[in-house]
Amino acid sequence: MKKFLASILVMAMAATALTGCGGSEPAAESGDGYKVAYIARAQSDSFAAWLANEMIRAAGEYEDITLDVFDGQADDAKENAAIENAIANGYDAIIVQPNNGEAQRPYVEQVVAAGIVAITTNSRIAGIEGASSVDADPYVQAQVNAEKAIEQVPEGAKVVVLRGPSGNFHADERLKAWNEVFFAARPDVQIVGDDYANWNKDEAMTLMEDWTLAHGKIDAVISMNDNMAAGALEVVKDNPEFDDMLAYGVDGTAEACLLIQDGLMTSTCLQSAIDLADLNMATVHKLLTGEETQIDTDIDAVLINADNVAEYVEMYKANGQITE
Amino acid sequence: MKNGKTSQLMQKYSIFFVLLVMIIASTMMNPSFMSTRNMTNIAVQLAVATILAYGEMVLIVSGLLDLSAGAVLALAGVLSVSVYKSTGNMAMAFAVAIGVSVVFNMINALFVANFGLPAFIVTLATQMAARGLALLYTSGQNILQIGDYAFWGQGKIAGFLPVPVIFMIVATIIISYIMNQTRLGRSFYAIGGNEEAANASGINVIKSKYMAFLINGILVGIAGVLFMARVNAGLPNGAVGYEMEGLTAAIVGGTSFSGGIGTTSGTLIGSFIIGCLNNIMNLQGVDSYIQQVVKGIIIVGAVLYDVRFKNKKAPKVILKKKDEEEKKDDAPKAEAGA
Repeated sequence: MKKFLASILVMAMAATALTGCGGSEPAAESGDGYKVAYIARAQSDSFAAWLANEMIRAAGEYEDITLDVFDGQADDAKENAAIENAIANGYDAIIVQPNNGEAQRPYVEQVVAAGIVAITTNSRIAGIEGASSVDADPYVQAQVNAEKAIEQVPEGAKVVVLRGPSGNFHADERLKAWNEVFFAARPDVQIVGDDYANWNKDEAMTLMEDWTLAHGKIDAVISMNDNMAAGALEVVKDNPEFDDMLAYGVDGTAEACLLIQDGLMTSTCLQSAIDLADLNMATVHKLLTGEETQIDTDIDAVLINADNVAEYVEMYKANGQITE
Repeated sequence: MKNGKTSQLMQKYSIFFVLLVMIIASTMMNPSFMSTRNMTNIAVQLAVATILAYGEMVLIVSGLLDLSAGAVLALAGVLSVSVYKSTGNMAMAFAVAIGVSVVFNMINALFVANFGLPAFIVTLATQMAARGLALLYTSGQNILQIGDYAFWGQGKIAGFLPVPVIFMIVATIIISYIMNQTRLGRSFYAIGGNEEAANASGINVIKSKYMAFLINGILVGIAGVLFMARVNAGLPNGAVGYEMEGLTAAIVGGTSFSGGIGTTSGTLIGSFIIGCLNNIMNLQGVDSYIQQVVKGIIIVGAVLYDVRFKNKKAPKVILKKKDEEEKKDDAPKAEAGA
């Protein structure tokens, strides 16, 4: 039995060495160029996975950059360990997508203290001296939707709010924007349902099924991301009573673009992984070459609605997420 | 004597009374609760979790466990969606989902039954591997535009009977038949109640464990198709923690974690207790944090009841003579045969 287990372990180690674990090995020591480590929040998060893929693509456009991606697995301890390993492995720059900004703060400070270029991204950890940041402002992402909603949502409307995970920076900031921009300006609007669907489509579906039964017609769905808005729309899509229901999200996912194109969803704000990745690589290159020493920058918050959705559907067709 | 019988009846049917009281209380709190539409909603919402719960029940009764169900469901589901998108053949999509799930469960069975590793560890490992494969295959992205595949999660037969509910009903009948009417079902109770005694009485323990994982594999594969069809997408990171929903339903429904005790009807009722509880709390607008606290209390209550009352009633015997064992072979089933 012990021999069998030992054989399995040896085979697993050999397989790991041969496959290189999808880029988790240190960069090839070619002698030239810069070794950059990207510590992703969680490869199981569809946006984080998209961003990681785009980071690899964007890095490929720089001949002097070699990028290795590590997975924080949505776990602070694992993400912190990955940062420590990257410091020990002598990377020239470390880009951190925090799982929980405050938990990663001391580790990013260690990166700076080691004289390594440090960037925090999606979302930034503010106030670390010597560290740069590249982000999409979650407040603005919700704000561009909320400003439109002030005019679009009918008088005395019944709305439901779908929240992201409690304590998540992006979820909290997006909700803050809706409260300050929309609900403060529209006291006539009645919130009939407000709950956490944790970014998940299936959880949003269950909530929406129960809310439509308890409250009948709902005039608008205010969701902190597109996945949950899509779940709510899945419940009512065949019910003519909800034909004029408004639905707002954030992320600008391929599914949201299709829903906007079909007239089911009202608007979303693009959090473009492509733009974030391009900006991250441009930033790290400037920092590594000494062109600049400190950069804090954001990508644009682009509102996607019926007027411009075709452009983004084409973008997703080009990257294969939409097939027809 | 009468008191004893009443007490026995209460023990046997207590889970039904709990659901009945919950339904009455929920109807009083919100008249919409008993509407046809809400009952349909609850049934559809519970279909996937209930099918998973049957798999967990079969395994727990056999002294096993599956922590990989949610991840295997996701892998089976995304592969099934992908096959459907490229072939348009739903039979092939079902076959792929069930096939993938069965393969993973056979791997679980191999390590648990043949190599004697704990099911907890083995299925935890396959959980990680299956989730990783699902994410690897899809590059972490949802598969969209799944077309008529969605019918299997959202469609209705004869205009009123949701397809997932039909699958749940059929699964209930088949699992109930296996557990109550077949030698295989009795062997699950026997090996879960006392594996050594079961072995001594001539039951092929290894084969029974393989069969328990096989049944679980088929159920998880079907659940994978229904889940992806319901959400109208292939979600590689979907169904996280669904094995816990299945386990919860089975335990609340009276399945004993120490093995050998558990019923299909109890699991169904357990699933509906959790589902009705979620539903009425959503209808009443109860904060989701409080919902989690309430669910936690209910699970602890169910396990406490199981440990304090049921186990006290049937103390475990480590070894028995073969003839005694044969006589007792059906006992756990009869005891749990509500």
